[in-house]
Amino acid sequence: GDENFYLLFETATGFCLFQRLFGEEIGEQSKEYQESLAEASKFKKLFKLKKFGPFTSAEEALDSINSVSEGVVNETLEAFLTSNLKPSNKITVAVGEKDLASAIAELGYRSFTSSQVQEFLRGIRGHFHSFLKDLKAGDLEKAQLGLSHSYSRSKVKFNVNRVDNMII
Amino acid sequence: ARGGARGGAKVVVEQHRHQGVFIGKGKEDVLLTKNMLPGESVYGEKRISVDAEEGKVEYRVWNPFRSKIAAAIIGGIDNIFIQPGSKVLYLGAASGTTVSHVSDVVGPTGLVYAVEFSARSGRDLINVAKKRTNIIPIVEDARFPHKYRMLVGMVDVLFADVAQPDQARIFELNARNFLKTDGKFVISIKASCIDSTAAPEKVFVEEVNRLKKDGFRPEERITLEPYERDHAVVIGSYRAPPKDKKSKK
Repeated sequence: GDENFYLLFETATGFCLFQRLFGEEIGEQSKEYQESLAEASKFKKLFKLKKFGPFTSAEEALDSINSVSEGVVNETLEAFLTSNLKPSNKITVAVGEKDLASAIAELGYRSFTSSQVQEFLRGIRGHFHSFLKDLKAGDLEKAQLGLSHSYSRSKVKFNVNRVDNMII
Repeated sequence: ARGGARGGAKVVVEQHRHQGVFIGKGKEDVLLTKNMLPGESVYGEKRISVDAEEGKVEYRVWNPFRSKIAAAIIGGIDNIFIQPGSKVLYLGAASGTTVSHVSDVVGPTGLVYAVEFSARSGRDLINVAKKRTNIIPIVEDARFPHKYRMLVGMVDVLFADVAQPDQARIFELNARNFLKTDGKFVISIKASCIDSTAAPEKVFVEEVNRLKKDGFRPEERITLEPYERDHAVVIGSYRAPPKDKKSKK
């Protein structure tokens, strides 16, 4: 496995670090990768869940989504990353969006996003349940439901920067 | 099953060709969905109660003048893919009127991730979702799916009714993140929103070509007359495996 390449996958229940188990030779368009998308057992040969850091409260989850969606590393994410991976420019933490990548790079890691990384994260999203055996069916959706209500409520309350369609 | 609509008229409810959708046969036929929350209307729509073996069952009337999906169904579209148990990502959820019918169709085992950017409509959407727990309300800009990536899982169907000039791009970004391989899409295209000077037919063809480049395989297109002017609905598959033209290799 590659001890230096990780992917950050953010969910409504917590942050996850996945470790890449293959080298550069497997691209997202390769036959091997594309076939793994259809089969969890094949996909799990390519990525390993290194760590799952569940949120401990609804407030922590809301603060995390508010930060992540703005490309900011909050305390929860910083603690999650630094307690599991010692910051070093030899260690890559690939993410789904460029602002968050810049913020993670400031912690001392190598960080970036690319269309290849997006494809890997797409695969992880599709196979997520097979990595987290403790997550019961419906648990993730329950967390998404709770978090979506609090996130969306805050968006309709504090819409100072938003221009609604007022043309009537 | 026989039942009475308001006013005592007899209505017979039959299963539609599309699973989870029903037809009320009376003086005039109406499209229906089975009400998840019997006793309540969402936006003032009519309800019809019928006696069935399992007791009283209530349906809500689905108006094709207010919903493009309803218009496409009545227009005879081959498939809408949204059925009991489906997970749907719905872009352009507005106040949640059509979303509430999609919530009826997918039922308690399905899920609707409903995205709407306008705060005003978003308030209504949140209220609809409070009672219907298979709706996940997301008040956010569908142009930036990374902002809501923590709220959405992989879905079976992507539906969009965003009426924006760059809707093909919005559609592609969301599909890439959330629509499973060989998942299905349903997109509503309003010609005047994309190019108000070109002929609608030309706009539809160009939009379909744009989608084809991004991994969408269109399978059917219908226009929504007489319910909407210059609107088309296109359905198809995303990143579908190539069709085997020869049975022997």
